[in-house]
Amino acid sequence: MKRIWGYIVIATLFFVLIWVWTLKVDSSLNYPEFVSGGALFFIIFFLCLFNIRKRVPFLPLWPAHKWFLLHTVAGFLALSLFWLHAGVMWPNGLYVQILAFLFYLTTLSGIVGLVMEKVYPNLLTRIGLECIYERIPRDIAEIRNKAEALILECTEKTGSDTLAKHYLETLGWFFQRPRFFLNNIFGGQNAQTWVLQQCSILERFLNAAERDYLDQICALAETKRKIDFHYSLQKMLKNWLLIHVPLAAAVITMVVWHLIVIQVFFN
Amino acid sequence: MDENKFDHDKSPYERPNFPFRCGRGALWRTPCNSGPKVDGSCGGTRDCTPFFKGNRWLCRREKCYGGPCEEGPSPTGECSWQRPPCAPRKTLRAIRGQISFLVVAAIVALLLISQASNPTGAGFVNISDAGPLSKSHKKFTEIEGCASCHAAYGKGPVGWIKAVFTPVDISERCVNCHSFDGPDSIAHNNDLAIDREVRKTECIMCHREHSGQKMSTRQSTSEQCNTCHKNKFESFSKGHPEFPEKYPYFNRNAIKFDHGSHLKKHFENPKFTEKAPSSCTGCHQVTLSDREVRPQAFETICVNCHGSQIKKKDLVLIRLPEFMQNFVDKEALIQACNSPAEEKTEDEFLSVSTEMPALVSTFLLNVPEDDPETYEQPLQELIQAMTEESMLPIEDLVNSQTETPMADKLLTGLNPEVLKRAACSWGLNLEYEPPAEAKFGGWYADMLEVRYKPTGHRDPVAKSWVEFALTVSTVQDDEDKADRAKAMREEIISVKEGVGSCVKCHAVSETTLADGKKKLEIEWQYKEVNDRPHSQYSHTSHIEIMGNKSSCSNCHILDGKAEYMASFKGFDATKWSSNFSSIKRKTCIQCHTESQINQDCQSCHIYHLNPGFKKKMVSAKRQMPEIKK
Repeated sequence: MKRIWGYIVIATLFFVLIWVWTLKVDSSLNYPEFVSGGALFFIIFFLCLFNIRKRVPFLPLWPAHKWFLLHTVAGFLALSLFWLHAGVMWPNGLYVQILAFLFYLTTLSGIVGLVMEKVYPNLLTRIGLECIYERIPRDIAEIRNKAEALILECTEKTGSDTLAKHYLETLGWFFQRPRFFLNNIFGGQNAQTWVLQQCSILERFLNAAERDYLDQICALAETKRKIDFHYSLQKMLKNWLLIHVPLAAAVITMVVWHLIVIQVFFN
Repeated sequence: MDENKFDHDKSPYERPNFPFRCGRGALWRTPCNSGPKVDGSCGGTRDCTPFFKGNRWLCRREKCYGGPCEEGPSPTGECSWQRPPCAPRKTLRAIRGQISFLVVAAIVALLLISQASNPTGAGFVNISDAGPLSKSHKKFTEIEGCASCHAAYGKGPVGWIKAVFTPVDISERCVNCHSFDGPDSIAHNNDLAIDREVRKTECIMCHREHSGQKMSTRQSTSEQCNTCHKNKFESFSKGHPEFPEKYPYFNRNAIKFDHGSHLKKHFENPKFTEKAPSSCTGCHQVTLSDREVRPQAFETICVNCHGSQIKKKDLVLIRLPEFMQNFVDKEALIQACNSPAEEKTEDEFLSVSTEMPALVSTFLLNVPEDDPETYEQPLQELIQAMTEESMLPIEDLVNSQTETPMADKLLTGLNPEVLKRAACSWGLNLEYEPPAEAKFGGWYADMLEVRYKPTGHRDPVAKSWVEFALTVSTVQDDEDKADRAKAMREEIISVKEGVGSCVKCHAVSETTLADGKKKLEIEWQYKEVNDRPHSQYSHTSHIEIMGNKSSCSNCHILDGKAEYMASFKGFDATKWSSNFSSIKRKTCIQCHTESQINQDCQSCHIYHLNPGFKKKMVSAKRQMPEIKK
């Protein structure tokens, strides 16, 4: 917490410095846009460095969480510098409007990502299970195999197919792949309710031996529910970059075009 | 779940940065141990790649996948665990890279297509459009488009690359249409800082385009002005230099109106009280005021008291003076005048007049007015000529005095019959007896004189005689004639005796011509001050706030000690004392302070020197073709 305040103070000082500099330049009848634009370009370049940093994890270039904090603070700084540079919230001219639109979208997607980065990890920790996103298919397959093996064993040993039929009609759907995605990303409890319901609904129709198997299957379903939760939230944490990064690339492209236009027409 | 499942011997190493992932995993099946190959093909048809050691093949399946299998490799060295190949899928990172590439490619394509399809930007989305132009510039750039200001526009990629390495001063394009009374790229269009170097200015320092309907113009602050100005100060109320000593009464008035005597003496005289205005606005036209609050016309505000005075002051063109001898050819005179001869001998000649000749005629004939022996012959010859040709000899004399003939203006309305009759009488050494008194003004002859009576204010003949007198008095080479011209001028511009008493109110000032010669001019019109082009003041807005009754005296305070009328005795307009005390900065600061009314530099100062448009701009506007809608 102390660290982020330090970064915020540095960013604020940087902004004030640039602001005072633009005022100074403005008062000398020069072009303050060059100062604010230069600073904005520098900050945008710094924001891009985070993506590059993630591609070279083997280099000792500060830990990623520090980069993330800096990226967050620099993002807000870029927004402030953008307003200082443009002088208005919504500029005139098609290409600058496209640039502004893309910049705002990138900032918005960044803010959404930041909110998720702050909320989701806590929810994931609270669920009491650690899970690697890329390994979730293997984990689900493993749970499913175990559940199906238990069902077969139950049928063989008890001679009853009640549990097997129930599995085929309801639980099989659940163990097939991650479920309740939308409900999970909003922190809903539908999956838990559904699992409890499916486990309790059958209990009175089973004998003692079958109940043991049902308990084991329900334990597997509970684990699967937690993995599903991990899957949903981690998928969001990873997939929002599918919006943020391409938008950032588009902003960079338009910034380059902006620089070309300025150089050609304002040289 | 196993707590130690991430141990190195229990958990494989995941590589999300690889471009592909196992297709079985994507279908929520157990992914294979090997994963896809770099080219995207399945690499997991076998569990392991056995190796040959000693004389047999050994299983190499990793411990995290269960370790060496019980079956072991076949005798040919093939893994015994085989499965059909999957269809690997792209990883998130690869998808992200692809989307980013597509987005960038789409934007680049949009930029290129928009530039390539129509570089003028018309008819297609102009991706380099920086925003709408101001209303004033939009019209003039309709035909040429962006190229009106941007040289590189529409010149293709090569032109653009050249433009990057060729600095362009966009201000050069501005002055294609805009003009100033001084250098374009020097501050204030005026070489004011002659003692030091100041940087070159550019139009875009203050004027910005592409900001919408209205041109964005920088409001200069004190701080901005301070960057160039030697005399630096914080604001008008804090540190602004005191106004000049005579501010704002630098120039002598064109009309001699002594506010002191009128307000304190004449308007308080019971004889004139009824005619006197009740306040300053009784004479000054507030409704049309700006920098100046012009007085109303003579016919509106002065005529009640001064209207009758003009007609009382005549001009004497010719006066029959005292002659010692008679040089008139009597026979010719009798023939010209068609009158009977008189029986008088030369010895008996006694001049009917004892007067001196008129100064106008002595100047025209270039003779001394006080020496009858010198003037009598030329003057009698003139009279003799007048008996024969009436006004023609005078017309010739008048026209010979100036480069541009002025007789048609000076002698307008002069009746040849009257002139001839007077000349005939004078040639016979008789007084001319007019048939009736000249009541209504104009030329007339009376006893010994030919006179002109002004018809009223703005009388064109009287005005022309004043101008004639002023002109000829400064162009004479001959000393004697110059003295006679000055004598005539002094009579004509005399406040008491001059024709129409024009100079009682109208100031006469000396000006220097381009060739260095001096010239005297009478100021017929109210003269606006235009020698301070970098300053502005709006009386209207001040009067609107303070009211039009007493607001004038807040700033304009009568100076009782000023010798106002004495300032008009000479012709030097720079030496004068105003009726009013000079206005001090403290007067303005009463309102223009930080907490009250704005005190921006541009409230009172104009940056440019007489800004305007070039002639071609106006003609271009006239020839502007209709734009197709």
